[in-house]
Amino acid sequence: MSGRAFIARAATAGTSAKPDAATSPAGGVRLGGRALLAPFAALGGLAAALLCLVVGLLVPATMARAHEATMAVITLREIAPGRFIGQWTMPPVDLSLQPIFPPHCTWEPPELVCGARGLTGQLSFMGLGSKQSVATIRVIPHEGPMEVYTVSAAKPTVMAARDPGTDLAVWRDLAETYVNLGIDHILRGIDHLLFVLGLIWLVKGGWKLVKTITAFTVGHSISLAAATFGWVGVPERPLNAAIALSIVFVGVEIVKLQRGEVGLTARYPWTVAFAFGLLHGLGFATALTTLGIPQATLPIALLFFNVGVEIGQLTFVAVVLALLWAHRQAQALLPRWGAAIPAYVIGSVASYWFLLRI
Amino acid sequence: MMRGPRLLATAAALACAVAFVPDTAHAHLVDTRLGDFYSGALHPLTDLQQVLPWIALAVLAAFQGAQRARWIILVFPLALAIGGIASLAVPLPSFGPLLGLVLVAVTGLAVAAAARLPLGVLLAIAVVMGLLHGAQNGAAMVATTDRLLFLSGMTAVGYGVITLATGSAIAFLHGAPWRPIALRAGGSWVAAVGIMVLGLHLVRPVAG
Repeated sequence: MSGRAFIARAATAGTSAKPDAATSPAGGVRLGGRALLAPFAALGGLAAALLCLVVGLLVPATMARAHEATMAVITLREIAPGRFIGQWTMPPVDLSLQPIFPPHCTWEPPELVCGARGLTGQLSFMGLGSKQSVATIRVIPHEGPMEVYTVSAAKPTVMAARDPGTDLAVWRDLAETYVNLGIDHILRGIDHLLFVLGLIWLVKGGWKLVKTITAFTVGHSISLAAATFGWVGVPERPLNAAIALSIVFVGVEIVKLQRGEVGLTARYPWTVAFAFGLLHGLGFATALTTLGIPQATLPIALLFFNVGVEIGQLTFVAVVLALLWAHRQAQALLPRWGAAIPAYVIGSVASYWFLLRI
Repeated sequence: MMRGPRLLATAAALACAVAFVPDTAHAHLVDTRLGDFYSGALHPLTDLQQVLPWIALAVLAAFQGAQRARWIILVFPLALAIGGIASLAVPLPSFGPLLGLVLVAVTGLAVAAAARLPLGVLLAIAVVMGLLHGAQNGAAMVATTDRLLFLSGMTAVGYGVITLATGSAIAFLHGAPWRPIALRAGGSWVAAVGIMVLGLHLVRPVAG
């Protein structure tokens, strides 16, 4: 039973400074006028970017509310493979609080029977709320060190896993957990999505876009791996500030392009995407490194997490491209005078985040 | 030989009608685990009574040509957002479900007829639908819902669906002559479902 790992399936995963929202893609709305159309300047995108601004302005304030934490601890001692005896070592304030174990486990207090699969899968608590905001499950396995899982109202589920070996069920559990975590992380990471949106805007489409997005993917995969394995480490606050700054950079590049200037990104899109991919990958890694995943499952976790991030990113790119296509079909494009507004909105939002994060 | 498909079609229409009965369209918060933005985005998508008329509205707009259709990409999401915000202050009108069904029937009939509407009428339908559905979705929020995120998500998905459906319908109409007929046939289905459910709604005996 050694080598177990506790892996948080963060329903609220993400860096602390990320607003919880998604970006609507850019398209273009031309409301009359015969001006030269700017096909990538969408009013929809403008509206979405303005929305992001509002979200960005308001969400951090609401997230910063103080929250009283009251701890409850239940300890599970493994008396035989897959069989545990549970006991509240720190009883809950709210007596209705009950642990929720994976479906293959049978919990008849004080006994927990999980069979050959052991205690693997999703753990949670029923009754977490204002009275009882944090609860911990401590597992003392038959062999190996004690494992501790903490569940809070903000992070309502935790995944228990072990070194998969050749056990297909454990592999499936790990894949489900980390692919979902990766998708969650990118979809909740408005700053990453805004950066990708900026790249699409700059590069417009075709093979150049494929190469640029691929370069971004390669870049963030490398730094994600490096940070997750502990080879590189950057403090979270300046990292998040730098990520915000990368979006400002993209905003500036868009404006430059619209003015007919050939900026760095227009000249070397994939190089810029790769470089900033390295930066954003460090940001992705915070979702994994904060979980404290043991070395045994780390490479697998990293692989599946990255797959999840790519699924989320490609879905986002597909939606943006579909919306751009739809805008062109409907001839819904911004007039020339308004084409730069979305870029300024993106730049302003990112600048605000930068100031907030330094 | 045509009886089989007809029976199938009738059964499908009845199934749609049952799915549309207003009593089943109660408030239903969808937990996406991704927060209230995505809950707001998913909420209208889980209600056929909202998504179907959105698509019908987009097709109706496409029949008016791109020059007119593009206005609903701006107007509809705005109306949706205003409706959602209004739901925070004003209770849902009692005639809301009835109006919703009327909108389904009207947009379906207009699509079936490939009606050429003045821009004002098209936008009026979009505004009324947006306000109503915005308010209905907004009313589904509970005390713990982050209203800003929820309404943002709802507006974003409204913009996305209406834009994609309008663009797709415009693109689809270019080409073979059967294409407008296919869209009109689809509109007749929407109208049939709307009228059927409207009838059920009006003749339903009052409890007590």
